[in-house]
Amino acid sequence: MEQYLRNLFLMSVLLYVLGAAASALIYFFKKPYKTSMTGSVMVNAVCIVASGLGGAASAAKILLAVNSLKLINLSSTIPFISLEMNLDNLSAYFVLALSVLVFCVSLYSIGYLSHYNGKRNIGLFNLLYTLFILAMIGVLTSANTVCFYIFWEAMSLLSYFLVVFESEKEENTKAGTVYIVMTHIATALLLIGFIIIYSYTKSFALSANTAAIPGMAKNIVFILFLIGFGTKAGIIPLHIWLPHAHPAAPSNVSALMSGIMIKTAIYGLVRFVLCYLGVQNTWWGVVILILGILSAVLGVAYTSMEHNVKRLLAFCSVENIGIILIGLGVSFIAFALHHQIIGSLALTAALLHTFNHTLFKGGLFLGAGAIQYATHTKNIEDLGGLIKTMPLTALFFLCFSLAISAIVPFNGFISEWLTYQSLFASILPGHIGLNFLAVLAAAALALTGAMAAAAFVKLFGISFLGLPRSEQAAKAQDVPATMMIGMGILAALCLGIGLFPLTMIKLLDKVVFSVGGGSISGQLRGGFLLAYYPLTISVNSISPLTFMLALGVIILLAFIVIRIVGGKYIERRYGTWDCGFEALNSRTQYSATGFSKPIKIVFRALFRPIRKTIVEGDSQYHPEAIIYSTTVTSIFEDYLYEPVYRALLRFSRRTKFRVQTGSIHNYLFYIFALVLLLMLYNRFA
Amino acid sequence: MNNIVYLLVQLLVILLVAPFVNGLIKKVKALSQKRKGASVFQMYFDLYKLVKKKTVVSNVSSWIFHVTPYIVFATAMAAALLVPVSTKILPPQIPGDFIMVVSILALGRFFLMIAALDTASTFGGMGSSREAMISALIEPSILISMFTVALISRSTSLPQIMETVQKVGIPLAHPVYIMVGLALLIIILAETCRIPVDDPATHLELTMVHEAMILEYSGRHLALLEYGAAVKQLVFMTLFVNILIPQDQLIGVIGLGALILSLLIYLLKVILLALVMGIIEVNTVKLKLFSIPNLAALSFILAFLGVLQFLILGGKHV
Repeated sequence: MEQYLRNLFLMSVLLYVLGAAASALIYFFKKPYKTSMTGSVMVNAVCIVASGLGGAASAAKILLAVNSLKLINLSSTIPFISLEMNLDNLSAYFVLALSVLVFCVSLYSIGYLSHYNGKRNIGLFNLLYTLFILAMIGVLTSANTVCFYIFWEAMSLLSYFLVVFESEKEENTKAGTVYIVMTHIATALLLIGFIIIYSYTKSFALSANTAAIPGMAKNIVFILFLIGFGTKAGIIPLHIWLPHAHPAAPSNVSALMSGIMIKTAIYGLVRFVLCYLGVQNTWWGVVILILGILSAVLGVAYTSMEHNVKRLLAFCSVENIGIILIGLGVSFIAFALHHQIIGSLALTAALLHTFNHTLFKGGLFLGAGAIQYATHTKNIEDLGGLIKTMPLTALFFLCFSLAISAIVPFNGFISEWLTYQSLFASILPGHIGLNFLAVLAAAALALTGAMAAAAFVKLFGISFLGLPRSEQAAKAQDVPATMMIGMGILAALCLGIGLFPLTMIKLLDKVVFSVGGGSISGQLRGGFLLAYYPLTISVNSISPLTFMLALGVIILLAFIVIRIVGGKYIERRYGTWDCGFEALNSRTQYSATGFSKPIKIVFRALFRPIRKTIVEGDSQYHPEAIIYSTTVTSIFEDYLYEPVYRALLRFSRRTKFRVQTGSIHNYLFYIFALVLLLMLYNRFA
Repeated sequence: MNNIVYLLVQLLVILLVAPFVNGLIKKVKALSQKRKGASVFQMYFDLYKLVKKKTVVSNVSSWIFHVTPYIVFATAMAAALLVPVSTKILPPQIPGDFIMVVSILALGRFFLMIAALDTASTFGGMGSSREAMISALIEPSILISMFTVALISRSTSLPQIMETVQKVGIPLAHPVYIMVGLALLIIILAETCRIPVDDPATHLELTMVHEAMILEYSGRHLALLEYGAAVKQLVFMTLFVNILIPQDQLIGVIGLGALILSLLIYLLKVILLALVMGIIEVNTVKLKLFSIPNLAALSFILAFLGVLQFLILGGKHV
C-alpha cells in the first residue's frame, strides 16, 4: 500500500519535471507562437494530471497510511547535503491544498495565457511556473533542514522571477525588489535558526531530538523562525511586500503565491516550532496570538481602503493569515499548558482555515485575473455592470466573496466558527491574562468578519453591479471556458466544504493527531452525507446543510404564499429613481472611494488620509472642473521602514567615503587587521 | 415530534408577532405626538397591499435585485428558527448557535447591500456604504455580549444559554447581565435601524441607511424586505428578553399548558420591550452619522466590561 502511494506521488513529481523540461525546450528553441501555444496547453495539461495524482496520493496517504512515506533518499558526497524527502500527514495535507489549487490554476492558465500571445515567451513562463510548483512540493516534503533551505530559497527566487515577469513596467520591478529584499532577510534568519539548532543537535534531520537544546537557545530560535516565516506569511508589520508583489505578478501566479506559497510559512511554523522544537513556553503562543489579532484587524482595515482589485486581495491575505495565526496561537498556548484537546481544536481551526483560504483566495485572484483579462484594468473605479457581460465569473466571484466574509453556508464560516469555538474553549478559570486575550481575539475576529464583508460588498458591488464606469468595462466579454471551469471548481469546493464540513475535518483530524498528539474526533458527531449533518464541538453544533434546506423551504413557501395572495407576478421595467432630474449616468453612481469613506473617517487615526482638491476655473464658485484625489498613508512603510531605509542609506553614504575609500592601502590594512583579530581569537578562545 | 412542534411554534409566533411589534412602536410614537396614529395591526394591511401591487424593477438591475428580497426574508426566518421563543418546547439539538445566527443575518445583509448597488442609484450606494460601516462597528459588540452569556453557560448554543439563565434568578440584578443587557439594547437599536442610529420613518438623505437601501423596491419585493426587517428585529428582541428576563423557571411543568403560559409571558415581555424601544425612540434624536461610532464603542465597552467582570469574578457559573 505505502509503496503504491509512494510511486503514485513520485509519478506526479516526475510529471511536473517533464512539464518543466518541455517548457524549457519551447523556451530555448523559441518556436513560433502557434507551436508554443500548443506546447503551453500541453504543459498545463501535464500539470493538471500531475496535480490530480499528487492530490490523490496525499489524500490517500492521510486516510490510509499510518507511517510517513519515504519518497526519496539520495545522499551525496558533499558533506551535509543529501536529498531526503518524506511525506507525512502534515506534508500531505499541505500538498493536497497545493494540488487542488494547481489543478484549478493550470486549467485556468490554458485560457489566461492566451493574452500573452505573440507578446512574450510562454515557454519561459511555463518553465518558471512548473519549477515553482516543484520547489513548493520540495519545501513541503523536505526531511532535513538543508534540503528545506535549498527548496525554500528556490521557491523565493522563482516566485521573484514570476513577479517581475512583466518586467517592462517599472512598478513591477520595484515590487520585485521589495519582495526579494524582504524574503531574503527572512531566509537569512531561518538559516541562522537552522545553524543554532545544528550546533546543539549535530544533525540536520527533521527527526532529530531537540531536547538537548537549552531553553534560551530555543527562545532565540523561535523568534528567528517567527520573523523568518512571518515575513513569508505576511504578518503585520512584515507584510509590506504582499501589496506590492501580488498586483505585479500575473494573476495565475498571484493565485498560487497568495493561495499556497504564503501558507508554506504556516507549514513552517507548525513543522519547525510545534513538531520540531516543541512548544516550550506559553509566551510563544501569546506572541503569535497578538500578532494574529494585529494582522487580522489592520489587514482588514487596509483591505477596505484599496481600490486596486489585486492590492485589495493582497491585504485581505494579511487579514486571513491573521485569522490563521489566532488559531495557531491558541493551539500553541494550549499545547504549552498541556490542554491537548483545546490545542487540537485550535490547530484544526487554523489548518482548516489555511485550506479554505487556499480555495477562496486562489479563486478570488483568478477572478481578478478574469476581470483584468476582460477589461484590462485592475482599478475597480473603472469597472461596473460586469454581471451582465460576465455572468458566470460574477457568480463565482460572489461565492468567493461570501466565503471570505465567513458567511454561511460557505467554508470560511466553518473555519471561523472553529476558531471561535477554540477561543471559547480556551477560556478556563485561572488564566485571567490569557482569557482577556482570548476575548479580545474573539472581538477582533468579529470586527474582521464584518469589515471583510464590507470590503467585498464594495469589490463585488462596484465592479460587477450598476452601470459600467468606463468603455472597457462596457465592452467586456466573458472569459474562455477553461478559465471559468478553473474558478467553478474552486467555488464548488468552497460550497462543498461549507455544507459538508465533517468530510474535511475528519481528514484533518488525522493530521492534527499526528502533529499534536490530541484529537477532537471524540467531540465530533454526525455522519457522512446525512441530511441532518451537524458539526458538533462538545455541546455546540451547527449544520449548514440544514440551514440551506431551511432557506430553500422558506423561500419556496414565501414564493407560493405570495403567489396565492398576490396573484401573478407582474413586473414593470423602468429607470432607476432619479428624483426627476433625468440625469442618472454611470458617473452619478456611488464610487468605491465614496463607499469606503465612512470607514476611512471612522478610522482616520489609522489611515491618516491625505485629501487633495484642485478647482480649475476662474472662480472657485464657478469651477470648470474639480479634481479630487485622496490617498491613505501606509503607516508601516512611512514610519517603520522609511526611517530604517534612510538610516541605511545615510550609513552607506558615509562609509563610502570613510571605509570604502577605494584606496588599496586601506583595504590591505583591513585584511591585515582581520587576520590579526582571527589569530588572536583562535589563540584565546 | 418535538422538532415539528418547535418549528411550528417558532414560525407562527415570529411571523405573527413581528409586524405587531412594529405597529406597537409606531403607536407609542403617535401617542407621544398627541396623534391617534394608525392601528397597531397596520403593518399586516400594508404587507397585504404591497403583495397585491405590481412591481417596478429598475432596468439597470440584474438577478441580484430579484433574489435579494427572498434571501433577506428567508435568512431572517432561518435565524428566527434558531432563537427559541420558549424553552418549554425544544428539539433535542438545535442545528446552529449564536455565531451561526450572526452569520445567517450577515448573509441577508450582504445581499441587501449588493442589491442596493445593483440599481446604480446614488441613494442605494449611500445606504449600502453606511450600513457597511455600522454593521462593522456593531458586530464585535454583538459577539462579545453573546460570548459573555455563553461563557457563563459554557456553551454557545442558545437553548443552553437560556436554560442556564433561568437558574440565575433575576439576571438583571447581576452586574454581568446589566452590562450585557445595556450593550444588547444599543445593538437592538442599531441592528433594527431605529433612532438614534437610523430613522425608519423617513428616507431623507441625512437619515437614510436601511430605507435608502430598499428605496428602489416595490410591490411584493418590498413586502418581503419589510417583513424580513420586522422578523430580524424580533429575533434580537427575543434574544434580549429570553436571556435577561427569563420566565420559564416560574412555570414548573412541561406540557401544553406550560407552553401556552410561557408564550403568553413571552408576548408580554416583547410588548414591554417594544414600549421601551418606542419611548427611547421618542426621547432621543437621530445622531449624526459620525457619532454612531461612539455609540457602537459604548456598546462594545459595556459588553467588554461584562466579560471582564465575569473573568474577574473567577469565571465560574454566576
